[in-house]
Amino acid sequence: MEKMSYYSFVAAAIAVGLAFVLYLMHVLSGLRAARMQSAGTGTTTGTLGLFMGSRTATFGRYGSILGWLGFAFLTAWLVFRTIATGHGPFANMYEFSVAFAWGILGVYYWFERGYQQRVLGLLVLPIALGLMLYAATIPATIEPLVPALQNNLLLTVHVAVAIVAYGAFAIAFGAALLFLLQPSGPRWGLPKPAVLDEIGYKAVVIGFPFMAAVLVLGALWADVAWGRYWGWDPKETASLVTWLIYATYLHARVVRGWTGRRAAVLLLIGFAATLFTYFGNYFFSGLHSYGGLG
Amino acid sequence: MTEQVQTGHLSGLATDPVVVEADRGRGAARGIFEALWDLLTSMRFSLFVILAMAALGLVGTLVIQAPVGVASDATAKADWLAGVRPRYGGWTDIFDRLQFFSIFGSIWFRGLTAFLTISLLACMVQRAPGLWRTATKPRVTVGDGFFAHARERDTIVVRGEAAELTGRVVGVLRKHHYRVLLDDDGAVNLYGDRFRWAPFGSLIGHLAIVVIFAGVMAGSLFGFRDDSFMIAEGSTALVPTGEGLSVKLISFEDAYYTDTGAPSDYASDLVVLQDGRDVARHTARVNDPLRYGDLSFYQSFYGPAAVMSVTETDGRVLFTDGVPLAWETKDDGRRVGTFTIPSKDITVWVVGTWGGTDPLVKPGQMRVETYRASTGDPIEQLTIDQGVATAVSGLNFTFDREIQYTGLSVSRDPGTILVWIGSILLIAGFTIGFMLPHRRIWGRLVLRPNGVGTLSVATPGRVTHDVDRAFTDLVTDLRAACAAPTAI
Repeated sequence: MEKMSYYSFVAAAIAVGLAFVLYLMHVLSGLRAARMQSAGTGTTTGTLGLFMGSRTATFGRYGSILGWLGFAFLTAWLVFRTIATGHGPFANMYEFSVAFAWGILGVYYWFERGYQQRVLGLLVLPIALGLMLYAATIPATIEPLVPALQNNLLLTVHVAVAIVAYGAFAIAFGAALLFLLQPSGPRWGLPKPAVLDEIGYKAVVIGFPFMAAVLVLGALWADVAWGRYWGWDPKETASLVTWLIYATYLHARVVRGWTGRRAAVLLLIGFAATLFTYFGNYFFSGLHSYGGLG
Repeated sequence: MTEQVQTGHLSGLATDPVVVEADRGRGAARGIFEALWDLLTSMRFSLFVILAMAALGLVGTLVIQAPVGVASDATAKADWLAGVRPRYGGWTDIFDRLQFFSIFGSIWFRGLTAFLTISLLACMVQRAPGLWRTATKPRVTVGDGFFAHARERDTIVVRGEAAELTGRVVGVLRKHHYRVLLDDDGAVNLYGDRFRWAPFGSLIGHLAIVVIFAGVMAGSLFGFRDDSFMIAEGSTALVPTGEGLSVKLISFEDAYYTDTGAPSDYASDLVVLQDGRDVARHTARVNDPLRYGDLSFYQSFYGPAAVMSVTETDGRVLFTDGVPLAWETKDDGRRVGTFTIPSKDITVWVVGTWGGTDPLVKPGQMRVETYRASTGDPIEQLTIDQGVATAVSGLNFTFDREIQYTGLSVSRDPGTILVWIGSILLIAGFTIGFMLPHRRIWGRLVLRPNGVGTLSVATPGRVTHDVDRAFTDLVTDLRAACAAPTAI
């Protein structure tokens, strides 16, 4: 099973890598077509996303297929690794990084189905790919669990929920970045700011309750293992800060003067906090420190 | 030109796209209470409160936090500050003055939490009636301006008889799971909505935060907590709740994985005694606490202990028990433990070895240091061999053997249940509030005497991808229904 999971991981990395190349070609060809068209007739984009020439569409379609394939391979990795370890594969940095990539791809494809904004994919696929390449550089051995982690149910649920939340926040980050690239209305045939604003909001609307569930499940586990549901452990606190930043965003989105740019900036800060929480195991001295490379 | 048919910002918490704060009560002399109320219920203000809360949390993760209890003990605090001074340099005293080293007990944090609680309650009190009205007594008739300017709107040309057409429109709306209300003022006014209770989800999510705060408060007011409850193997320790409950440690096991050397298990075999009678037995592990009544015992830490006995010169036993060597000397890292012999006014410190090269205490030895309990004056220090009764300060001390002790966290927290109820409400409330946005649609059917007329439909608020799709689907179905052949 460990072997199978390894092959799935490699296959997923290759598929996502190729998907990224196709997305790049798709976007380049789409942007060029948009520029040529705007030079000719003055219209820039379709209602959703890039102007679709036939070549652009082909690149996009095959890119998506490969991305889906990558997601499927990562799902296989999850399954094999779960069978091999007896719990969700979230016990060390290697497992968590691959799972994070899975979360990003999963949430991204959920949005691609609805919105067809592959430019966004061009931003978030590298994040997933980066996490996978990073995972490839750190030890992947399956090690038995230290006492604090010996709770297969909570380990699996707590971290699985975290991965979906983090994935959603990554998508919101990508959308916010594209939003901020167009400070004065639609540009270069990129997705329209209004659409990006909506994608960012929709992603947070998924991520925010999931992050609440991460905090609650973490509190539940802390209560069972450590005897208190909250102890201001650095990782606990960092997760709470992340959640609060997204809470701020949700309020900002309906306050005059905070919509648009400021809200988008909050999404960037929120994702920085997410990454800080995620990599926190390295530099926090607290109770979550076992999650490192060991 | 109003696009928003609802009044004020009453119809939703975070999900409502309407922003109305700027244009209230300006000019008129407002009382301070009113001004405060406006501030507390303002979305902009809550935004800053949450942001400030996040900032304090960030301080809490970036700045090392002093352990519990250090702040209240002046010498311990000075020691601790000296320990972090190399890291923070000149900032140490500034951070200390600003209470950054115990940020979650600081005046900032307490104040902000209190403010947040009041603000949450104020917002709920202010918004709930509006939500209730929107759900139960919606306006059915709206002005023409709405149909002319709503961002999501359409007009269908119809022909036929009013009652018949109305029936069809209502049928289509019902098929799309809308509740439909009608009002006839010459023209037929329609109002349809879905998920009218869902906005309360957001309200409940906010209420949940207050419930969680209440649980935390109840826990700290009425709870009991001891994070350093230590028992040596074979010993019994009284639980300091004053209820005659004690716990005996039968044995402690720490196990390790053979291949990696990483710990695999910490297990304390515990017996609970009520007034000396066995009432429960359980092996407490890290993820498996011992629960007795409303008390819980969690495996927290462990270490070596020395079985010591002290007798008078005539052989009368003054003390015999396992002494947890739970502390470490600061300069040389020797493990130390302590016990008292009240009848002799003596405090004893037992010092273990730090290894084979220790010149003072060799493996197989313990150093005994006696102090006058009332004054703290040292009496005598002597290293003694295992199993040999040795006279120290006029009493015979024997170090029998080394065993282990377990360190438990003991807690009783009556607020926990509120925290869990709040947590469930939080997740359920926000999920419902976000996933099921309140969908509303208004329609107006106007027929001229010749049977030809228009059906205008419009939906308020921001146009999003899925709102647009749902609206388009609905209009398509309405068009088809109104154009059906029997309508002529």
